[in-house]
Amino acid sequence: MIKDITIGQFFPGESFVHKLDPRAKILILIVFIVVLFICRNFFSLLLMLVFSFTAVILSRISPKMIWKSMKAIVVLVIFTALLQLIYNDKGDVWWKPFPNGSFVITSGGVYGAIFLIVRIITLILLTSLLTYTTSSTLLTDAIEKLLTPLKWLHVPVHSLAMMMTIALRFIPTLLREIDIIMSAQKARGAKLDTGNLGQRIKALVSVFVPLLVSSFRRAAELATAMECRCYTDGAHRTRLRRMRLGWRDWLAGGVLLLVSATAVFTSFYPIGSTLIFQAVIS
Amino acid sequence: MNKKELISFQNVSFSYETDTENPKTVLQDISFSVMEGEFLCILGHNGSGKSTVAKLSNALLLPDQGRILVDGVDTGDEEQQIEIRKKIGIVFQNPDNQIVASIVEEDVAFGPENLCLPREEIRSRVDAALKAVDMYDRRFHETHRLSGGQKQRVSIAGMIAMRPKCIFFDEPTAMLDPKGRRSILNTIHRLNREYGITVVYITHFMDEAAEADRVMLLSDGRILKTGTPSEVFTQTDLIVRCGLELPDPAKLSFELSELGIRLTPGVLTEQDFIDAFQRFMKESQ
Repeated sequence: MIKDITIGQFFPGESFVHKLDPRAKILILIVFIVVLFICRNFFSLLLMLVFSFTAVILSRISPKMIWKSMKAIVVLVIFTALLQLIYNDKGDVWWKPFPNGSFVITSGGVYGAIFLIVRIITLILLTSLLTYTTSSTLLTDAIEKLLTPLKWLHVPVHSLAMMMTIALRFIPTLLREIDIIMSAQKARGAKLDTGNLGQRIKALVSVFVPLLVSSFRRAAELATAMECRCYTDGAHRTRLRRMRLGWRDWLAGGVLLLVSATAVFTSFYPIGSTLIFQAVIS
Repeated sequence: MNKKELISFQNVSFSYETDTENPKTVLQDISFSVMEGEFLCILGHNGSGKSTVAKLSNALLLPDQGRILVDGVDTGDEEQQIEIRKKIGIVFQNPDNQIVASIVEEDVAFGPENLCLPREEIRSRVDAALKAVDMYDRRFHETHRLSGGQKQRVSIAGMIAMRPKCIFFDEPTAMLDPKGRRSILNTIHRLNREYGITVVYITHFMDEAAEADRVMLLSDGRILKTGTPSEVFTQTDLIVRCGLELPDPAKLSFELSELGIRLTPGVLTEQDFIDAFQRFMKESQ
């Protein structure tokens, strides 16, 4: 169950998306998210969906992995969609369950719910691609590069980046450890899957205390090992890989700018007023 | 051939300051040296102070009394500590806690990157190190998907890539299955023979010590005996006092001698035992 969590995992490959410069990937993702939240109708949303869908296909990541990252947020998606359905009272009334009209389902609510679901799916598609196709070292190198201006403000950019590399590296290790501790506690009669919410939370304490203790031990050992490998402050380290912007990065960036410009333009100046152009989020 | 002293411990004492009133003494006045190019095995049970020896050698810890010289440089000299760590590497027991990056070759590059080497030099060192431990084919694999033995190989490659003169192995096989243990031990022996890296191998498995050049028996922070494996292993009472277990062939010949069947002393490996037993049969006929 816990092994299903795929946050921050990397699947090595040789695809177009894998070969993009990690800095370009991060910038593209930021622009994409901003534009996605500017989108106001189905036409612009559809453009964004096509963009992230193309990226997924180009990355050759198996649909199973993408589905796994989706599964983690299914509850959130359903919840926000329901809220939209219930509280949005714009548009025509489609269903009126109570005669006094205290609760109605409107066209605005239905469109709004669909709109939100598609928006979140679009978002998850592209964000999960970032860590799926970029190794943690490259990712943090890129973040370090992009945050370089902060060094002028004496922000320890390198140390932050190193912390992130290690955090990503230890996610699978700690997940496996949680699995082992849970089995060990179950073998001793702990009831982790039964009882009401309060009881379950209390039972989880018996999992997280050992996890915390062992994490501290791991951290101490890792620090010693890093010292043995001559890690000091790290500000002057050289790198195995060089990051270089290539034609792929300019191409991907160019396509994104085109898509974004169209999406933003049609959001404010819808062409015609058919269903797909209908502004549902106001 | 007159070999050079690489590391020399001179009357070293060390204690952990867990609480100030009764500090736990780990090493008491020990002196020994590690010769360039040799395979030294430090044998001792848990808490005998064997891991502390490794950490003292590359200035992770400093001795309370006495001094430690690495290539003639005192480990207490703070300005030389990085130089000392370049010469003396340590591979620890748990590979999970010494791998820094998620991809094999990126982890191996971590050390050379810290040494601020040029990119081409890092690349060639990483490739050479991965080939030396037979992990070159898996250089793009994710570290967390490897088996315990493969992870330990990556840790060893990470150390080799820094081109140290000497590597301490602190119970590198303790968390591995028998097959993984054997292959890691073979790799370490090959590094010693073919690459001329001085090896200090710390363990409590006696059978792993059988092929070392020299064995040092450590118990409660004191050196009980130093010598060739057969010199040390024949001191059966000493080994039992250390709380160690003899390798099976040695144990068998020891138990046979108590029954009056005296084989030639110095039996360590299965082949030794077969030879000694055949000799015994011939003589008794």
